[in-house]
Amino acid sequence: MTYATHVDDLTERLRATVRPEEGTIPLFVYSDPDVYRLEQERIFGRVWQFVAHESELREEGAFVVRQMGEQSVIVARGDDGEIRVFLNACRHRGMKLTCEDRGVTSMWRCPYHGFTFANYGNFMGTPFERAAYPPDGLDRERLRLIEARCDSYAGLVFATWDEEGPSLAEYLGDMRWYLDIFAGRAEMELVGEAQRWIIPSSWKLPSENFASDAYHTATAHAFLARLGLVRSVDFGRDGYHVDAGGGHGLGMGVHDDRPGSWFPAELEDEYRARLDPDQLALLHRIRNFHGNVFPNLSFLIPNFIPVEGRLVTGMMLRLWQPAGPNRLQAWSWHLVERDAPEWWKRLGRKMYTQTFSSSGMFDQDDTEQWEAQTEVSHAALSRHDEVMLDYTMGLEARPLTDFPGPGTVYGGKFNEAAARSFYRTWLNLILEERA
Amino acid sequence: MSTSVWVLPAEAVSPQARIAAEDFLIAEAALLDDRRFDEWLELFTDDVEYVAPVRSIRRRGYGDDVDWESRHFDDDKTSLSLRVRRLTETDVAWAEDPPSFTRRIVSNFRFRAGPADDELTVTTNLLLFRSRGTRGDSDVIAGERTDVLRLVDGQLKIAKRHVVLDQATLGTKNLGVFL
Repeated sequence: MTYATHVDDLTERLRATVRPEEGTIPLFVYSDPDVYRLEQERIFGRVWQFVAHESELREEGAFVVRQMGEQSVIVARGDDGEIRVFLNACRHRGMKLTCEDRGVTSMWRCPYHGFTFANYGNFMGTPFERAAYPPDGLDRERLRLIEARCDSYAGLVFATWDEEGPSLAEYLGDMRWYLDIFAGRAEMELVGEAQRWIIPSSWKLPSENFASDAYHTATAHAFLARLGLVRSVDFGRDGYHVDAGGGHGLGMGVHDDRPGSWFPAELEDEYRARLDPDQLALLHRIRNFHGNVFPNLSFLIPNFIPVEGRLVTGMMLRLWQPAGPNRLQAWSWHLVERDAPEWWKRLGRKMYTQTFSSSGMFDQDDTEQWEAQTEVSHAALSRHDEVMLDYTMGLEARPLTDFPGPGTVYGGKFNEAAARSFYRTWLNLILEERA
Repeated sequence: MSTSVWVLPAEAVSPQARIAAEDFLIAEAALLDDRRFDEWLELFTDDVEYVAPVRSIRRRGYGDDVDWESRHFDDDKTSLSLRVRRLTETDVAWAEDPPSFTRRIVSNFRFRAGPADDELTVTTNLLLFRSRGTRGDSDVIAGERTDVLRLVDGQLKIAKRHVVLDQATLGTKNLGVFL
């Protein structure tokens, strides 16, 4: 069987079994190696992906090394002030131009043969160039670094390999209104280096979880209520569930038992200047806020809990980087308002680290589920029947008509509409053949 | 002037103190491996600072690879108590229930007096073996610990623990175990 026939069979199977509108998703898609290969080609090779935060690249020449799918990329602010994203590959033999996590430089010199590239992508030269490539050396333009399209929204820098596709603004669509609340309400900064760790899980499971799954908190994170840190399981129920379109989704916990804003008063003017009145009003009502920008950028304003006697939250930005059908690399950052008072920064970081991080008391428990789900999904390789999973929660629910924000918004967080939307977008992309 | 190796310099930590500190840290590791978390928590002072910074990959001479701004643990006595209560008082701490099997090797002891008069600084190597599940998987977490031990009412307590882990990307799926 040729590879093309094999892909045809696979896409046929996907078309027949991935039925988000009916609330069914087949088990095999979680970790099937052929599905994973298609995802690399048709999702991570095409869609906009988060690569950095602008606060990491304030200086000219500053760069960070990140991943788009399995491809290593350099995200750099060039000497001309512009942020660009390059494939981290020398044009001579494909060696990585840089093997560190970050730095500041005007150029990268390949450690193999010395081919040198400016921080804005131009090929600058190579040692003994005229002797090696007589008489005039190499063509500068032909050897420019391979560059992705790059744009940013609310301080979040994204890139895509697709030259023809939608703009970032179009891609984010209705999600922008919610990203404003999360990342655009103030000038934000990432705090320090990313925490990174390996989870033996499909990248889709945590992505889907953050987009859609508030329901699991009552069971998976029951310790929070057991230890009296939240009133009861309603921290995962009361609020809104949003299918923001394009596979993006989020949930917002709202319970009005303790009225008034929990955010620091010192930041109110900045919030007001950057948000519209509806966004600002919502910000002050939320008690938790979780979502996923398709495909794999999750974000969170966790439940406020007391640290040193003060109620704080500690915002999280999380990338679920695919590293194989059964394996992902988690990248986790703490995000905070740059002009926040010192106590908010200090306690917020503690709160973030203790709840949602490599050692986070929530994260820990989730990794158990995702690993086991991934392991179980291998069973699909040796079964002749199709194991179908239930994604029907909220299938009959009617969206709200009076919610001020965009997207399809449901009252109450117990819903799986955003997960269905995630798999609809996923399926459409994975079936899209291009010449 | 000849100095015998058997004569301790004035700033050296006494053999008695070294033995006491070494015994203390080895017993502490055993409490964790035996999952006697309530007793373990008693070994910390109320003002303990329990911190594990994040590492990154940097070129030599281009910045520190230890980032204290970003932390795997950023804990105090209250949060350590919460982590312990999660493990001991609830039956929903899924990351460690069923529990991992762990074995902590604490070695290469280095001692320094201070910083306060009643304190002793002990730097050690930590090798933490962790096995979970039925498939024979195991993780090794390695790092350097620097502990400040304080004498409180005749008992040694941990007043500060800093753990610098030896991976930029951790190879364990969570830090559901104490370092």
